[in-house]
Amino acid sequence: MIQFQQVSKRYRDKTALDNANFHLPRGAMAFLTGHSGAGKSTLLKLIMHMEQPTNGKVIVDQQDLSQLNRHQIAMHRRKIGLVFQNHQLLEDYTVYDNIALPLKVSGYNNRDAGRRVRAALDKVGLLDKERQFPEVLSTGEQQRIGIARAIVNKPRLILADEPTGNLDPKLSAEIMQLFEQFNQVGVSVLIASHDLALIEHMGHAKIQLNRGRLSGAFVGPN
Amino acid sequence: MTTQAQRSRPEQLGKRLLREHGEVAISSWLRLWRQPLTNLLTWLTLAIALALPGTLIIMLSQAQGLANQLHTSNQISVFLSLQASTAEGQALSQQWQVHGDIHKTTFIAANDALQQFSQASGLGDVLTSLTDNPLPATILLEPVSDDPEHIQQLVQQLRQAELVDQVLVDQLWLQRMHTLVNTSQMAILILSLMLALGVLLVMGNTIRLQLENRRAEILVIKLVGGTDAYLRRPFLYTAIWSGLLAGLMACSIMAAALAALAPPLGQLAASFSSDWQLSNLGVSEVLLTILGSCLLSCAASLLTVQRQMANIEP
Ligand SMILES: Nc1ncnc2c1ncn2[C@@H]1O[C@H](COP(=O)(O)OP(=O)(O)O)[C@@H](O)[C@H]1O
Ligand SMILES: [Mg+2]
Repeated sequence: MIQFQQVSKRYRDKTALDNANFHLPRGAMAFLTGHSGAGKSTLLKLIMHMEQPTNGKVIVDQQDLSQLNRHQIAMHRRKIGLVFQNHQLLEDYTVYDNIALPLKVSGYNNRDAGRRVRAALDKVGLLDKERQFPEVLSTGEQQRIGIARAIVNKPRLILADEPTGNLDPKLSAEIMQLFEQFNQVGVSVLIASHDLALIEHMGHAKIQLNRGRLSGAFVGPN
Repeated sequence: MTTQAQRSRPEQLGKRLLREHGEVAISSWLRLWRQPLTNLLTWLTLAIALALPGTLIIMLSQAQGLANQLHTSNQISVFLSLQASTAEGQALSQQWQVHGDIHKTTFIAANDALQQFSQASGLGDVLTSLTDNPLPATILLEPVSDDPEHIQQLVQQLRQAELVDQVLVDQLWLQRMHTLVNTSQMAILILSLMLALGVLLVMGNTIRLQLENRRAEILVIKLVGGTDAYLRRPFLYTAIWSGLLAGLMACSIMAAALAALAPPLGQLAASFSSDWQLSNLGVSEVLLTILGSCLLSCAASLLTVQRQMANIEP
């Protein structure tokens, strides 16, 4: 699903990712761990084509991202559900409109979009919040709305950047269980997190990042 | 990995585009009225920038009609000296009638000239109170040739004649009129271009602020796979609506200005004994104004969005 071939990313003087090689298979679930500033967000941004590698190739779903034009980049992003630490919900959109945005962008009509939005809200257990605005919801609810938006388009890959960073342990465990459920129906999942206690408890594959260098599961030689 | 558009009932592409554009057209229209005052000012700016040169262009094109109406031919006016009697003038007129270079002559006696002038100028009472007629008798000539050189030669000949005080060629007046019209056209063109540039800058700035206000939205749309066309679309429809509204405003301003200018200009024309009237906006002028307004508005939008959207990258 995701393949990194000798990928390096430098920001001016700072090396965020150093000669990374790894291959996340289709349908796998893995955690990306590492200290703050290790390069976790950078790795996810490379997959989303929010950043371009300084060296090497990023291949997602057999597509070399460096070969894509602007339209193809948009199409590439539609295949990925992205969850942020600070949810990135739009304040002046209702919960419904926030979740429906990926569908609107892909040209769904209102009837089909409505069905999908309600299915996504049902999965995260917030079916009754559809008409609310995000700011009246709790942090845990906002994060679940963010997840609903990420899954509404039925992506085959979910990326999450510190999705439980702002949540207490109980809420964090619930969020992680949601990701496990998606993985059980065949969605590939890659979650950046430094919540080591929780990750140990869940027992999925781990990819470690230390000052831009990778080690652990799915990591190739370099 | 195929996640795109697994819809329950497949929708035809054309129908889907129509629906999407319709939705954006409506939501853009509704969004206009969230900040009515700001938008009103933008539309007024655009409307005035269109109405000013528009009014001038309409007046000028009609003034050309007036000029052509006043000038029916290469008429030569020969003013006789005040000493010349009516009989002498008539004799001279008949003598010239058979001249090879002259097509036709008309004699206007001094008294007739005074009468005509007092009617046209509205100064009847003042003029009739004069004891001496200040106007000379006049012979109007229509030369056979249209060629300015020939006419100039004829004028030289006429000047030599006895009893002739002054010879005026309307052609000269016509040339001056054309020069004046050409200069005015150039001036209006330059004015229009400067105003268009000003409007592009003002509207560009407004749109830049709109983009900045929607920055978070644009970022999220880009991250969930919105194409450039999708992102541009609401701004394009906002520009079309603004163009339509500003175009209608411009037409109202022009109609009011032309209505206010028509009576005094009509009086001015009447003093040249012309029945010329400044007419108001026609359908084609309204349509052209609205078209121009929409084009200008869309140009401002596309140029700004193209440049600014690239700066908002996730
Ligand atoms: N846009 C950027 N410009 C410059 N340096 C950056 C930028 N983004 C990240 N970095 C640097 O790259 C390193 C990795 O950052 P990041 O990928 O955000 O790490 P993490 O998500 O693991 O905390 C950090 O040292 C950070 O300061
Ligand atoms: Mg990070």
